[in-house]
Amino acid sequence: MSDMATERDIRIANKPARIPLRFPAPRTWWLCFAVSLCLLILFFVAATVLLLEGIGVWGLNIPVNWGLAITNYIWFLGIGHAGTLISAMLLMLGAHWRNSLNRFAEAMTLCAVVCAGLYPILHLGRPWFFYWIAPYPNTMTISPQFKSPLSWDFFAVLTYLTVSILFWYIGIIPDLASVRDRARTRTAQVLYGLAALGWRGSAWHWARWRQAYRITAVIAVPLVVSVHSEVSLLLAAGPIPGWTSTVFPPYFVLGAAFSGFAVVLMIAIALRHMLGLADLVTARHLDLLARFLLATGLMTAYGYWVEVFDTLYGGDLQDVETLLDRVTGSYAYTYWSAVIFNFVPLQLLWFSRVRASPTILFLVALSVTIGMWFERYMLVVTSLYRDYLVSSWGSYAPSFWEWSLYAGMLGVFLTPFLLFVRFLPVISAFEVKEALRETGDLEHA
Amino acid sequence: MRQLTGKTGRHFWRSLEELWQTPDGRRFMASEFPALARNGISINRRSLLKIMGGSLALAGLSACKSDKDEAAYPYVSTPENVTIGEAKWYATAVTFDGYAQPVLGKTFTGRPVKLEGNPDHPMSRGTTDAYTQAALLGLYDPGRSQSPLHFGEPAEWSAFDAEMARKAEEFDRTKGESFRLLTGPVSSPTLLRQIAAVTARWPKARWHVCHPVSDGLQRAATVQTFGRPLDLHPAFDAAETIVSFDDDFLGPGPRQTRNAGLFADRRRLRQDAKGKTRLFVIEPIPSATGSMADERLPASPVEIDRLLRAVAARVGVAGVAESELTGRQMAWADKAAAALLAAREKALVLVGRYHPSATQALGLLVNDALGSFGKTLRFTDPVITVPPGRDDSLKALVDDIQASRVSMLAIIGANPAYTGAGDLDFAGAMQKVAVRIHAGLYQDETAALSHWHVPLQHDLESWSDARSVDGAVTIVQPLVRPFYDARSAHVVLENLMGRQANDRELVQQTWRETWRENFDARWRQSLHRGLVDGTAAGFLQPPVIHRNVADADGPASGLSLCIRPDAGVWDGALSDNAWAQETPRPLTKLTWGNAILIAPKFADQLRLKTGDQAILTAGSVSVKAPVWVMPGQNEATLGITLGYGRRAEDSIALGLGCDAYALRRSDSLWHRDGVSIEPTGTGEVIATTQLHQAMDGFDFVRTVHISALAQAADHSEPPSFYPDRPQQDPSWGMSIDLDLCIGCNACVTACQAENNIPVVGKELVAEGREMHWMRIDHYYEGDVEEPKSYFQPVPCMHCEQAPCEMGCPVNAAVHSIDGLNLQVYNRCIGTRTCSSYCPYKVRRFNWFDFTKNDAESIQAMRNPDVTVRSRGVMEKCTYCVQRIAEARITAAKDGRPIRDGEVVTACQQACPTQAIVFGNVADPNSAVSRRKASARDFTLLEEVNTRPRTTYLARIEDSAEEEATG
Repeated sequence: MSDMATERDIRIANKPARIPLRFPAPRTWWLCFAVSLCLLILFFVAATVLLLEGIGVWGLNIPVNWGLAITNYIWFLGIGHAGTLISAMLLMLGAHWRNSLNRFAEAMTLCAVVCAGLYPILHLGRPWFFYWIAPYPNTMTISPQFKSPLSWDFFAVLTYLTVSILFWYIGIIPDLASVRDRARTRTAQVLYGLAALGWRGSAWHWARWRQAYRITAVIAVPLVVSVHSEVSLLLAAGPIPGWTSTVFPPYFVLGAAFSGFAVVLMIAIALRHMLGLADLVTARHLDLLARFLLATGLMTAYGYWVEVFDTLYGGDLQDVETLLDRVTGSYAYTYWSAVIFNFVPLQLLWFSRVRASPTILFLVALSVTIGMWFERYMLVVTSLYRDYLVSSWGSYAPSFWEWSLYAGMLGVFLTPFLLFVRFLPVISAFEVKEALRETGDLEHA
Repeated sequence: MRQLTGKTGRHFWRSLEELWQTPDGRRFMASEFPALARNGISINRRSLLKIMGGSLALAGLSACKSDKDEAAYPYVSTPENVTIGEAKWYATAVTFDGYAQPVLGKTFTGRPVKLEGNPDHPMSRGTTDAYTQAALLGLYDPGRSQSPLHFGEPAEWSAFDAEMARKAEEFDRTKGESFRLLTGPVSSPTLLRQIAAVTARWPKARWHVCHPVSDGLQRAATVQTFGRPLDLHPAFDAAETIVSFDDDFLGPGPRQTRNAGLFADRRRLRQDAKGKTRLFVIEPIPSATGSMADERLPASPVEIDRLLRAVAARVGVAGVAESELTGRQMAWADKAAAALLAAREKALVLVGRYHPSATQALGLLVNDALGSFGKTLRFTDPVITVPPGRDDSLKALVDDIQASRVSMLAIIGANPAYTGAGDLDFAGAMQKVAVRIHAGLYQDETAALSHWHVPLQHDLESWSDARSVDGAVTIVQPLVRPFYDARSAHVVLENLMGRQANDRELVQQTWRETWRENFDARWRQSLHRGLVDGTAAGFLQPPVIHRNVADADGPASGLSLCIRPDAGVWDGALSDNAWAQETPRPLTKLTWGNAILIAPKFADQLRLKTGDQAILTAGSVSVKAPVWVMPGQNEATLGITLGYGRRAEDSIALGLGCDAYALRRSDSLWHRDGVSIEPTGTGEVIATTQLHQAMDGFDFVRTVHISALAQAADHSEPPSFYPDRPQQDPSWGMSIDLDLCIGCNACVTACQAENNIPVVGKELVAEGREMHWMRIDHYYEGDVEEPKSYFQPVPCMHCEQAPCEMGCPVNAAVHSIDGLNLQVYNRCIGTRTCSSYCPYKVRRFNWFDFTKNDAESIQAMRNPDVTVRSRGVMEKCTYCVQRIAEARITAAKDGRPIRDGEVVTACQQACPTQAIVFGNVADPNSAVSRRKASARDFTLLEEVNTRPRTTYLARIEDSAEEEATG
């Protein structure tokens, strides 16, 4: 290991800590931030209208009394899972290359979980009573109904949010200290200092920190599986054709990982481009993410196939009818959009040259994100619009205020994420350093 | 100015406005400065309505007071003192199309909250139709006319009285020359007595009747056959074979309750294998009767006449010339005739009252040939009295107006400017009359053209009398003090003669004259029972005096149009009634509008599908409306219903549907030949509650052939993962007999009234957000040209293994120990999981706050025993849990178990065929348990294994093809 190389590596590794203090792309950032602030305002407008007028401003009805809100709830939560998987699971597996990705993936998880958590509350008929789902001592002497998947949804999202915050925060503490040390202004020193919880980098600190970080990771990984299995039960527990299927939990978890990796890939490429992080988020990282995307995508495709096979093998008239509705009915476009967006561009990832091209990777990931959204929409709507009795068939089209809330929710997602990008180290500097020390040279890794 | 002169000291009146504050002052102003009074002095409409709203609540309270001169007698117990929260029942009637619909009104502290059929009245037997249920909303309707209008401006009754007094003097001099009175159909003995008094006092005055859904053609047929006008009274309970030539006797109308009840009696005999009954129906437009038929054949109006001739010839009516029939029709005629001949005097042939009188007369001759007179078909004198010698009364009036023979026209309880046939142009003619007076419940099209509009009282707030379809008189007693500054039709008629009167005294006078003695006791008893003894019209045995059969019409010229009353709003009389508007029409499930009904094959030719707009042209008149593709309709016939295309500005019906009256001609009110239809290429929003009606091979409605009735059925339940619910005694359950349901919507509207169910309007119905707890699904099965048609009422199934209960995170959907699947509104946070999981989709969600902005009068109408739901909560059928609770409390007080039949749900109570039975399923001897033990019992979506407490009895099929194939 030459001195020259070490110096360069340290410069690279210190880069993330310098970004919040001397931001490299202020103009792009401000542009993005302005857009996301507009979206955030739209969110507040849409939510206000919703809260004042009632859920009727949406396009829901009987039979389709769940629509865009539940679709987006599942979608956002699914996206979030990739952050946890990348961070916690790869940490436990000792995959050091994760260090370039985990910080912003975790931040993305946090933002996504917040969005996912807001949706079920806003979609309630009486959102101001959302806390009745929680088991708290009350004068009404009633407790939640624990057979309901919704009770467990509540716990799942809340637990997941807590653990995600902890995991992300514990992970960022050493870097906050690093930023503190480099900060020039007094305000920045105080703020970063407070956030760093008095981190001095002593061996005790590191030992305690490592314990805490690993324990949280061990808790977080099974949560991915349990939370999204739980979410799938929201549909699968109902005796509705197209929902009541045992394949749903694994199918949902894999789909969640699939959509999440797609979003991580998109963010990685965007940040790499915007902040000039090509040295840190290298071609190898993109290649690995693409492989993950391909793998989880193929597993999700298997889920699709199993669902169809299951229905046809079971031969239940109502189930077959629902399958036909999905494939040929008035919402067939959602099914075929899901299939095409999810799995067709994905096949490009078999080629290593494609995996080396950030632009194509970005487009494939975008396609998957859209495809997975269609899949959630398809699952919710096509089962409800035609269930058992033909007399209660209906149709559903999201209203203006539903779309507004969706666009606004992207603001809720992007605004804190952009603030994170601007003010916190987007890449785990100390872990990169650590990795460099252990492996010798990042370039050769 | 008494109020000024009477005061001493400094009591100056500062302005006319101050003077206007007192009624006396207003009266003074009205007489002194009519022009000023007409414009009103800073009484804006809004503040007036506010005051009226406040007075409503007071009106309710003031009715608690028992007033000596206006004693109304409660049905069950005399009001020693009123207990708050305890309902009182009064027998009265609401009029529908001139006929009394006998009801018991349930009132809480002076507020009527529900109407039930009068069980003591043979025409009701405790049941009602949907119109009668909706009458309650009519009483509370805040859109009702509330004060007199003079030239469209609020006016005082005193000004009206003054003008009428002047007019009366004038007519006394001219003997009523050029005075015309126009009323709706009248059966009220008091009103008839008053009208007779008018024509006696002013011999040159004339009385006309405006009856848009009149029985004129049926009367003409009886005149032709018997030489006198008669009403027909088919005895469906005695008929073994019924052949209906487009007579929708089970369909909407004033006779529906009676007919359906008798029809169901006969069907029950067939179910128990104690009697035969087969129904043949031939009709151009599918109807409720057609869907109950064992054999049904679609045919155009002209073909119906030919088929009747064929049947007549086969049963031996002399002098019938047969015309050409297709092979299928010939076979059908053979089959029907054979069945008729087999039944002989137990056969019944009916011809629709909208068909030409010659056709109907031939129908009478067929009955005569079969010997059914007096057995299955009986006659009485007409219940509705029409002006002597004026069958086309309205046309005669228009002719008189055009000939300048009318100087004053008083219209009471009719809306001829809207309901007049298109070719009469009544609205145009009316404007030639110098003085035009209109008394009505609403400021309708006729009111807009009148100089004076005076508000009439609703039946439920006034004294009157009326005859039901059997002729029996019910004395109409008010359930509540009048809400608004309105008068009864009887009083207005007295006003026209320059007199003041009291409606109660007018009615009493009639009966004092009729009874002569023992008045008080008889009056009291009549009010008590809701029926005046001995007033039912006696059956007559008129000899047939005319047996000539008219020649058949020539071949039909092109496309024909059938105009029919609407199953929701009738002739437009219920246009302003939101319950009626939102009631899904039995076959189309259409709400808030009408449509051009068209046969599927013909629609295909024109490339029209349901919801496409088309122009319908008859003669020189065209209307634009959406089309509805109607399976089972005759290909050469279009259908349309009356009651839409309203033009009154304040009406909730403004802008809905198209006006079929414009297509009518006074000489052919019900059928037009040679019409044409042209697609416009655009679509219209139609609000239907059921988008898909084909059963698609599923077995939601099950049928059993009559030959297989005796076979035992397997009632074992499939195994379940869930533990069985413990069965308490009582455990509630329901059984709905699909062999009896005629899809009439009485249950739907009764449920709406009982359970404070809001209406949501056309847009929200179109979005799938209707709130009815009870719905009647309608299914077709088989060939789209001639499908079988079934009704299936669907309340909550009250599943024992209810998915909704599992889904609810906050314990809002719970199971009660007596087997009810309950919804606890104040726990509900609106996740809607219960509805997503419900296989029957019977749950309804409050998408907005549907109840908060209700007018105060609507709030006063609500059933105090049922929670009013707010925004964001789920609701659904409760099996009328409030009625169960009431029975439980009564039984507990008496220290006994709840008796079978003690709990009657609102839907069950209203059902004219008693298709719904409710009771304790834990008691094997209860009526509902006996029904559930039937071989016909089946569970909707049994395969989902939710173990519903509501089950169905399969429809019985008795068609020859079924037997051959199945």
